[in-house]
Amino acid sequence: MSVKKLAWVGLAFAAALVLPMFVGEFWVLVLTEILILGLFAVSFNMIFGYMGQLSFGHAAFYGVGAYTTGLLMVKAGVPLGLSLPASMITAGAVALVLGYFCIRLTGIYFAILTMAFGQLIFYIIFQWYSFTGGDNGLQGIKPPAMLDGAWSYYYFALLVVTAAVIMMWIISESPFGYTMRAIRDNTQRTRFVGINTKKYMLINFVVAAMFAGLAGGLWGPFNRSIAPDLCNWHQSGVPVFMTIIGGPTGFMGPLIGSVIYTFLMAFVTGFTEYWPLTIGIVITLVVLFMPGGVWGLVERYTAALPARGEPPADSGGEAS
Amino acid sequence: MDLSLLLSQAMSGLSRGMMLFLIASGLSLIFGVMNILNFAHATLWLVGAYACYTFWFLLQAHGFAIWVAIPLAALCVALVGWIIEVVLIRRVYARELPEQLLLTYALVLILGDLIKITWGVEDKLIARPAMLADPVIIAGVPIDSYFIFVIAVGFAVYFALWWFLQKTRYGHIVRAAVFSREMVSALGIPIPIIYTGVFVMGIFIAGLAGAIQGPVGSVTLGMDMAIVIQAFCVVIIGGFGSLPGTLVSSIIVGEVYAFAILFWPGGALALIFILTAIVLIVRPWGLFGTPMRA
Repeated sequence: MSVKKLAWVGLAFAAALVLPMFVGEFWVLVLTEILILGLFAVSFNMIFGYMGQLSFGHAAFYGVGAYTTGLLMVKAGVPLGLSLPASMITAGAVALVLGYFCIRLTGIYFAILTMAFGQLIFYIIFQWYSFTGGDNGLQGIKPPAMLDGAWSYYYFALLVVTAAVIMMWIISESPFGYTMRAIRDNTQRTRFVGINTKKYMLINFVVAAMFAGLAGGLWGPFNRSIAPDLCNWHQSGVPVFMTIIGGPTGFMGPLIGSVIYTFLMAFVTGFTEYWPLTIGIVITLVVLFMPGGVWGLVERYTAALPARGEPPADSGGEAS
Repeated sequence: MDLSLLLSQAMSGLSRGMMLFLIASGLSLIFGVMNILNFAHATLWLVGAYACYTFWFLLQAHGFAIWVAIPLAALCVALVGWIIEVVLIRRVYARELPEQLLLTYALVLILGDLIKITWGVEDKLIARPAMLADPVIIAGVPIDSYFIFVIAVGFAVYFALWWFLQKTRYGHIVRAAVFSREMVSALGIPIPIIYTGVFVMGIFIAGLAGAIQGPVGSVTLGMDMAIVIQAFCVVIIGGFGSLPGTLVSSIIVGEVYAFAILFWPGGALALIFILTAIVLIVRPWGLFGTPMRA
């Protein structure tokens, strides 16, 4: 079965390689957005799916990443290749400080504290005119000449996102990844076997933030400009939506969610301004009638689940 | 800094705080009893403001227009809340927290667009009632009389809720449900009815608050987004499920905002988030809550 899933992932990757050659520029831009937001969503799911905590401030790290790359490129002329790792480092550093407090809480309190911190980051970027440009945002983030085109930037994003996703997959399949699942399923018992759960949770939080920072870094040169709204709480909702639509139990769930969400948005906004209404209805239907998202459906129809009561994200291990 | 400015700022902060209390009290009550954090609470508050506009607009030829519009708007919002509870919320009681949160968040988006479709994108203005149009002079300082009205309604709702929860049979049941749903259910009290009742009551207060907010300034799209996070902060600072806690933290947040605006205009909201983060870190159950739920 694992071979079968690997074949599907290979097929999806091949499609990602070939598809842009047959579509116009608009859809290439949409595909690039799918990749970047997909990376953002997969990084979010490291906290949600694997650690079992709902972060409602994940956009803060995405925004910090976007501003790191944007400011370095525009104000210091640092090349993109160096700005992206810098984005990961700054996002990770911010997450180290904020995460130190966040991981002490769980459930609703974790969600609200991440949200409060996220809003704090948003207001700092929003108000700090001299440095970030405040609500004017930051314009003129140009990718290097070699990547200055919809297609070339798409393939660059594909390369970076694929590498990042493979890294996250390796992490999720490592002993560290299984320790996270143990913490999610029973923190007390995990602590009892001698694991410093707080340390593990903090590391996971920081790593997830670093990949969110990388996604944010990719966004600036793609969009040519960034605005503080990138770290507002609405933006934090985006990976949550994608993950719920795609399914948090599979490693690939958030990516599937990103494909559905972003395509739907590109399609719907083409003929109506009522995108929030549309996505609101979609989310409502998914929550009510399709718990587990698309991945949950796939699992129900392809695999004979080991047991009904099996904790869901165990199957996350088989996700590729 | 002269004293009159301080006094008028304090009154404006208190009125802001009482508005937050009206929103946060329902939020806190619903969370305390049903364990559901209602993201859409402030959006229903905004529906109240728009509904108040419509009723006022239809009746504006009469002097009493606003006094009819406010209760009518609150009742309409309560009706919407009842429909939402029966059709949607009821289905996710047994679900995990993220799904419940997501459902109410989806409601924010849906209701937000429905408001846009129904009332359009222009700001709506509601004229203040004649008797509250002129400032009142307190200690030589002119104070907006509508602020005093908002403060009075806030305290009235506080005492009404306090009386309901402490002195009536149904209030006792609701308080018992906060502690142990299973026990209440075991005593033969139908929990679904209690849930629906609490939800509709919370939404009614939000609708009332929205209707009262109407004449404060213009009613605009997106007002709900700005206030819902602050209402969460109030609930966190006061402690989930604690009515006095919500009142005190509403006043704290309102006053902090009103005075921060004077000294550090950009940082007023940031200060509230910092305050919330500190409370969450030091006392996750809030100033007045009990650690049991943390």
